[in-house]
Amino acid sequence: MSDRWERNIPVYDVPIWTRPFQALLVLGALALGLVTYREIAGLGPASGMNDAYAWGIWKTFNIMVLTGLGSGGFAVGIAAWLFNRKRLHTVMRTALLTSFLAYASGLILLGIDVGRPWNFYWVLMPWKWNAHSPLLEVAVCMPAYAMFPLLLENFPPLFDWIHDKRPRFRARVEKAEKIMTRFYPWVVALAYLLPAMHQSSLGALMLLAGEKVHPLWQTPLLPLFYVWAAAYMGFACVAGSLLFCSLVWHRAVDLDVIAEMNKITANLIGYWLLLRFADIAVSRKLGLMFQANIYSGLFWMETIFLVVAVIMLVDSGRRRDAQLMFHGYLAAAFGGMLYRFDPTTLAFQPRPGAFYFPSAVEILISVGFVALAIAAFVAAAKAWAILPGPMRLWKSTEIKTQDEKAPVGKISSYAPAGE
Amino acid sequence: MSREEKEDNTIAGHLKRSGVSRRDFIQLCGTIMAAAPVGLMLTKTNSLAQVVKAVGQAKRPSVIWLHFQDCTGCTETLLRTSRPDVGDLILNVISLDYHETLMAASGKQAEATLNSAVKENAGNFVLVVEGSIPTKMNGQYMMLAGKPAIQVLKEVGSQAAAVIAMGSCASWGGLPSADPNPTGAVGVDAIITNKPVVNLPGCPPNPYNLLGVVLEYATMKKLPALDQYNRPKFAYDRLIHDHCPRRAHFDAGRFAQQFGDEGHRQGWCLYKLGCKGPVTHAACSTNHFNEIPDVWPIGIGAPCAGCTEKATAFRTPIFQTVDIHASTPPEQYPGINTPVGNIGTAAAALAGAVVGTVASAAFMASRRLAGSNVLPPSSTDEKKDKPENTTVGD
Amino acid sequence: MAITRRDALRKLVAGTASVAAASAVATVPLSTRAQAEEGPTVPPAAVGMLYDTTRCIGCQTCVVACAEANKLPPDTRLDNIHFAPADLSSFSKNIIKLYKPADGKTYSYVKQQCMHCLDPACVAGCMFKGLKKDPKTGVVGWTANLCVGCRYCEISCPYHVPKFQWEGFNPKIVKCEFCKERLAVGQQPACTTVCPTHAVIFGSREQLLAEAKTRIRQNPGKYFEDRVYGEAEGGGTQVLYLSHVPFGDLGLPKLPGESIPQKYLKWQKRVYSYLALPVVLYVAMVGVINGNFKKHKEHMKEEEENTGLRAQL
Repeated sequence: MSDRWERNIPVYDVPIWTRPFQALLVLGALALGLVTYREIAGLGPASGMNDAYAWGIWKTFNIMVLTGLGSGGFAVGIAAWLFNRKRLHTVMRTALLTSFLAYASGLILLGIDVGRPWNFYWVLMPWKWNAHSPLLEVAVCMPAYAMFPLLLENFPPLFDWIHDKRPRFRARVEKAEKIMTRFYPWVVALAYLLPAMHQSSLGALMLLAGEKVHPLWQTPLLPLFYVWAAAYMGFACVAGSLLFCSLVWHRAVDLDVIAEMNKITANLIGYWLLLRFADIAVSRKLGLMFQANIYSGLFWMETIFLVVAVIMLVDSGRRRDAQLMFHGYLAAAFGGMLYRFDPTTLAFQPRPGAFYFPSAVEILISVGFVALAIAAFVAAAKAWAILPGPMRLWKSTEIKTQDEKAPVGKISSYAPAGE
Repeated sequence: MSREEKEDNTIAGHLKRSGVSRRDFIQLCGTIMAAAPVGLMLTKTNSLAQVVKAVGQAKRPSVIWLHFQDCTGCTETLLRTSRPDVGDLILNVISLDYHETLMAASGKQAEATLNSAVKENAGNFVLVVEGSIPTKMNGQYMMLAGKPAIQVLKEVGSQAAAVIAMGSCASWGGLPSADPNPTGAVGVDAIITNKPVVNLPGCPPNPYNLLGVVLEYATMKKLPALDQYNRPKFAYDRLIHDHCPRRAHFDAGRFAQQFGDEGHRQGWCLYKLGCKGPVTHAACSTNHFNEIPDVWPIGIGAPCAGCTEKATAFRTPIFQTVDIHASTPPEQYPGINTPVGNIGTAAAALAGAVVGTVASAAFMASRRLAGSNVLPPSSTDEKKDKPENTTVGD
Repeated sequence: MAITRRDALRKLVAGTASVAAASAVATVPLSTRAQAEEGPTVPPAAVGMLYDTTRCIGCQTCVVACAEANKLPPDTRLDNIHFAPADLSSFSKNIIKLYKPADGKTYSYVKQQCMHCLDPACVAGCMFKGLKKDPKTGVVGWTANLCVGCRYCEISCPYHVPKFQWEGFNPKIVKCEFCKERLAVGQQPACTTVCPTHAVIFGSREQLLAEAKTRIRQNPGKYFEDRVYGEAEGGGTQVLYLSHVPFGDLGLPKLPGESIPQKYLKWQKRVYSYLALPVVLYVAMVGVINGNFKKHKEHMKEEEENTGLRAQL
């Protein structure tokens, strides 16, 4: 039997309740406790935000950076469904789950970050909207995306589980699946349109900050760069997670699939870098790259990481070298994360004398939410068929069957024979 | 005494009879105008000539002065005036018909003097009260000629045309009323409730406060404008803090921190030593005592004790700082760009820990990925050229 | 049958061409584009303030008057004694700062408060119009029940004006609102009413611009660059400044002639105009995915028959 990734398979034989899992839950619980403190005492005592840096890591990192990483569903999906990279279908569930968890934890934290959340109900009344505001676009589009198309796309593993473990609901699940299949293209297209809109709007947010953003980052193409970065960050996150999970849970890796992702990611990054340099050259900002200050330092750090990523990805794809692939994706993810973070914080200087560093409480809350997302991913990967694997791993004899020679046909793997 | 007076009871007439020259009289009026604080109707509108005429034509008001639980400080402060000189004052400007400290009589003679003064000037005299009135144990803590103070006050007060409570004790109880107030000391307006009582708190108050009120009453036949505590506005509508000569030091942040330190010697602001100036209404900042400039508490380096204020004097510890209710800008200004934001140590440590954890996890994973025996071999080499299962862009 | 790259590209090109055509038709109609180039309109009854640094003595009466009129507690956080705001904040809508160069030469006070821009960046970014520019007077006001506390206004304002209440659980955005309640009853704002030297004066924007230009004309060389700040900066503001030192030294940023929303949100507005482009893209994608999905379903059926296992969507 080949080790091709042919099916999504749960991580068997590994209990959910492990030490690392408990540690993640503890971090999450701590974060939730601190959120109570934030709600009572206010944002000032609970964070390092101030009037000069009014947006802290909850917005600039958990949303702007982590939903970029969580654009796997968007990026891998477009490759699979629009550009017909069939091989990537096996990693779709992983991509969709990482996306959903990144968005869910980010959006909940966003609700905690805003100062007057009880007024958010106006979002349901389009006549009250300021249609030109990029933030409004984000506020409408992101929750809509997470709660509708992205959520729906994450139902299939749940449906599979119900179908197998809860036979009573089998008929209902099949009916739901039928409806879903009917409208699938409409839902999926929306799952690409909406992220394209809001990931670019996340970039557009910093446009209004004008000259507070360093000119090496401030450009009318900011929305384009952001959504494009989300694309390769999404790939990096999915591929990196797959390599990491395969390592931790001793699963086979289909390096062909990863190599395909290498190619796409390398191309995305390569052309992105070219456009970025072209934009800087056309706006005559080339000189800024060579000034001896922290901004050029950040710019080169981003660029070098991304260039190195391209080299590593191309090379490792050719040689099928898993370790180099992992490095490549780490570099790509880090370069992308740095790019999306810089214009909001590190390359954002509202006025001289202003400084920001997150407070301990702020960091703990941020980390805790990420921990919860990771914990949810781990639990789901073990309980449901999310991660891709070769067919030979599929446990078709998990439930004791009376007759070993069960007839071949459309039998669910979990169903006891004779039902 | 009184029969003679009835012929020409005006101040001018009396002064003339006393041999005070017109020139001296005009000078007297001039000094009253200068010394009497702003805000008296008498001095507000008028020229010297008009004031001279008004004062000259005023009848010498009869004044009866009662002492209750007092220290006589308010009388003492009155004695330290020279414009007019006390002798002039009590003999020529007013008719001081009863005053236990200043009159010659004592014993039964004094009793008789009080009774006759009240009887003869009934309805016309100004009653000045000094000292608080005890109320506990039927007011037996202060007896005058066998009668408790309450009774005396009621009897005499009922006949007075106007009542002035001189000093904090008479205004609201003063020192005797400090916790635990064993005598049940109260001010005059707790006893006399059926006619206006002018309160002149202070321990002692500036004597010109009294003179201003008396002269205003004598000439205009009206009491000056009073605030909600019946204190004349011309003397009590401002805070010490607002007219303090040391205010510039307060605004510049120059404070004496300890008695005798360099700042104290330089005459800096006494706020940190417990000065109650910011919460005390009085005119002491501009009208000093003993008619010598800078002779007043703050002027000699002692923080104001808030002696006019019931809530402050003898209640708030002398060296305890008070809250400023109407904060004002200082001499320093913020720069164009104020620094904001910093790194907390805990935050820095935490950030380092997070970065470290992620980095080491990545590092360890990367190392284990290197050994190809960790991953089950993936069958990538053999299938490379097969068209089956390959897709676009292989 | 596997789709070839050629086919996919062909489909995509066709799709994109239709998209491009549609969006070309549907994007910004000519009229709005023309308006965008003219510059922001000045409201008919635009009020204004003119602040002249050569007349300001730094007495800070305007700071105290503003706090009283707006019922703000004095900002005594510096030493718990003095009313000494270090900057505009949730305690201070108006402040006097001092520019004191190190060489001890020409210093200047500067009054800082909301500039009431003609095309404010804060209004452009505010999601539910919590910050709104009055169509008649041009005063930029804040409404509590429309504000979500997202602080986008703080990010976008080039003058760093809106401030957030960082303490407590009912935080507000605090900024000068031109004493609009006083304006409504025919009074001037508190600061202009109390200024003892008339360093800051109130009037219509038109009048004040004229007054400022008169002063410049009558005193050539006295005022920096012989011009008034706010006439065209960032599209123009309703609070105008005359200064004897460089504007930049007073913390007044150098802004382009276009307003920030106009300069930076041009493409956003065009791309999303009437939502035409997104809709067209969506329809195109549905078409492509539909085609691919049909083939995917067939593939899934085959797999089910081969493996005997339920297909995974």
